[in-house]
Amino acid sequence: MSVLARSVGNAFRNKVRSAAVVAVLAVAIGLALAMLVANQAVGAKVQELNASVGTVLTVNPAGGQGFEGGGEPLTPAQAARAAGVPNVTAVVGTKALRLRNATEAAAQTAAGQTGGPGGGFGGPGGQSATLTTSLTVAVDAGTLGNRNQETGTTGATGTTQPVRSLPLTATGIGAEVDSTGKALELTEGTGLGDYTVSSTKALLGTTLAEKNNLAVGSTFTINSTTFTVVGLFDAGTAFGNNALYVTLPAAQALAELPDELSTMIVTVNSMENVDAAKSALQEALGSDKADVTQGQRNLETAVSSLDSVKNISFVAFVAALGTAGLIILLIMVMLVRERRREIGVLKAIGARNRTIGLQFVLEALVLVALGSAVGAAIASFASGGIASALVSSNTSTTAVAGRGAGVPGGTGFPGGGAGLPGGGPLGGASQLLTSVTASASPGVIAAGIAAVFGVAIIGALVPALLTARIRPIEVLRGE
Amino acid sequence: MIEVKNLVRTFKTGDRTIKPVNGVSFELEEGTLASIVGKSGSGKSTLLSLLGALDKPTSGDVVVNGVSLAGMPDGKLTEYRRRDIGFVFQQFNLIPNLSALDNVMLPMEFAGVRKPMRDQRARELLQQVQLDPEKHGRRINRLSGGEQQRVAIARALANEPKLILADEPTGNLDEQTGEHIIELLSSLSRDHNTTILVVTHDRQLANKTDRRFRLQQGRLTEEPARDRAGAAAGVEAGVGTAAV
Repeated sequence: MSVLARSVGNAFRNKVRSAAVVAVLAVAIGLALAMLVANQAVGAKVQELNASVGTVLTVNPAGGQGFEGGGEPLTPAQAARAAGVPNVTAVVGTKALRLRNATEAAAQTAAGQTGGPGGGFGGPGGQSATLTTSLTVAVDAGTLGNRNQETGTTGATGTTQPVRSLPLTATGIGAEVDSTGKALELTEGTGLGDYTVSSTKALLGTTLAEKNNLAVGSTFTINSTTFTVVGLFDAGTAFGNNALYVTLPAAQALAELPDELSTMIVTVNSMENVDAAKSALQEALGSDKADVTQGQRNLETAVSSLDSVKNISFVAFVAALGTAGLIILLIMVMLVRERRREIGVLKAIGARNRTIGLQFVLEALVLVALGSAVGAAIASFASGGIASALVSSNTSTTAVAGRGAGVPGGTGFPGGGAGLPGGGPLGGASQLLTSVTASASPGVIAAGIAAVFGVAIIGALVPALLTARIRPIEVLRGE
Repeated sequence: MIEVKNLVRTFKTGDRTIKPVNGVSFELEEGTLASIVGKSGSGKSTLLSLLGALDKPTSGDVVVNGVSLAGMPDGKLTEYRRRDIGFVFQQFNLIPNLSALDNVMLPMEFAGVRKPMRDQRARELLQQVQLDPEKHGRRINRLSGGEQQRVAIARALANEPKLILADEPTGNLDEQTGEHIIELLSSLSRDHNTTILVVTHDRQLANKTDRRFRLQQGRLTEEPARDRAGAAAGVEAGVGTAAV
């Protein structure tokens, strides 16, 4: 009988006790693995959040924040200057267009209202005259929209104005990202591809396409230009999906402002360089010409909440791992004390210290292996719930505070309580925070079990070394 | 040949120093079946533990086939126990969750004997001690006391030791089983030319050995042997070495 076979036999010598030890170990190991899985899931989510918005800066015309109005529009020359700032990896210009349904606009004209919407419809960010489109907006104006509308429709004629829908946002983009710098998630079709002034390709939000019965390949008009739908995207929010994207040159051509940008989305090479790049950008563009805002700032609180969850789960993992090690240590110390005489017998018949020590370490590992198997099963069921509980208890305040707080900027069209199309970064962050999913991947479980075995070996070594101190004379005790 | 030279073992209990073994010397030739008798607490087991390198003497030496145990490092003492010594205990001291066969194979495993060889030898030894082959695979706790002692003797013989030390081998057995065990030890001593030293307080058992020693207050004296029955008074072994 080999040392291993003897160790397995010893592990089951007292079945009731072994079952109890395995059960206690399984709880500790299961908790450790669940915490590791939660830690990995939250870590991945933090990386995702940082990767999505953490390194993006938004440049707006100075004074063009929200409804404040004023300022000079951004120019391609400024975009080139921004691209030259150290640590800046990409600069994407956007041009926002306000579109109104052509039929509705004609009705308003006939009713005598020639001005743009007042009050709440104040178009910040250098928006020029409203363009007309064949598209019908997919979002109802709601209470806020109608309130704004009342203010705006009290025209010079004093006549009752017809009911209007919200304006539609069209954004000209220089790359396939939304107005927050996040890559567009296409659900159908392809990207815009050709970024020339002659491009008549467009990407539509799914709800806007559905409202207008459009699919990939369908056409619609903006002013007199016919555009073809080449792809549909899902921005994740109702207002985000009530939008469309065309190429930047096409938008500039439609607005008849070829040298104007509404915003610039600046990507910095790493999180560490964001602050420095922001200062450098502000200096390069001039504080009286452009405002540089940092989406990551808004996200910091949310990410720090997730970071604290990550830290808590790591500490809990280490604590559970330590507990498992301590359980092994105490159990093996107890077994060594209990088997002093047997150890004496083994020494009396010529067993080396290392042979006896190895036997005890292997016996501990047999118990740990069983505990790990049960613990892994526990972790696979419990890790999702534990991760959700940790995230929700640590991020609820942040998520509530951050909800709906989009990035302020010249592209912010009002109405119906909507912010930017696609929502600001923190709106997206709130969604991301609640979407942390912990799945017990085999790799993470294997890494966790390896750590458990490492701790178990350390825990078992102490009692194994104790066996070396037991003298063979123990065999004669009680004789 | 086993030579014991002026062996002393002292223990301190508080301010008192006791000497269960106090200047013991004797020699035993190969193949001798010898016994040490004495009252409980006379130091018999202590002397046995010194001979078997389970304990270290305060002074004196044990020389086995010309090799001195004094100053030998622990690793070498372990090797000595593995190769040269076989132990038989009053309480058998077998590993309870192993079978009779596995218990006998254990010393051979520690000595590095390959599995097929140790399996064969263990079966032969169990046959020699007359354990029913059906019981070879049984767990120890399912064997009677006599059967367990037979297994213990087989285990002691596993590595063909030069010296078997038996501490009250019949102490836990009934009279008849005890006689069988002592006959077994006697025949093994003859057949294997193995020196066997039995510690006992049973005078009847001691009378069946080739040489008899008495341990009293740490001093060893030799009593007349059975083949020299009626001889004069015994010789104090510690003073005048008695060899056969």
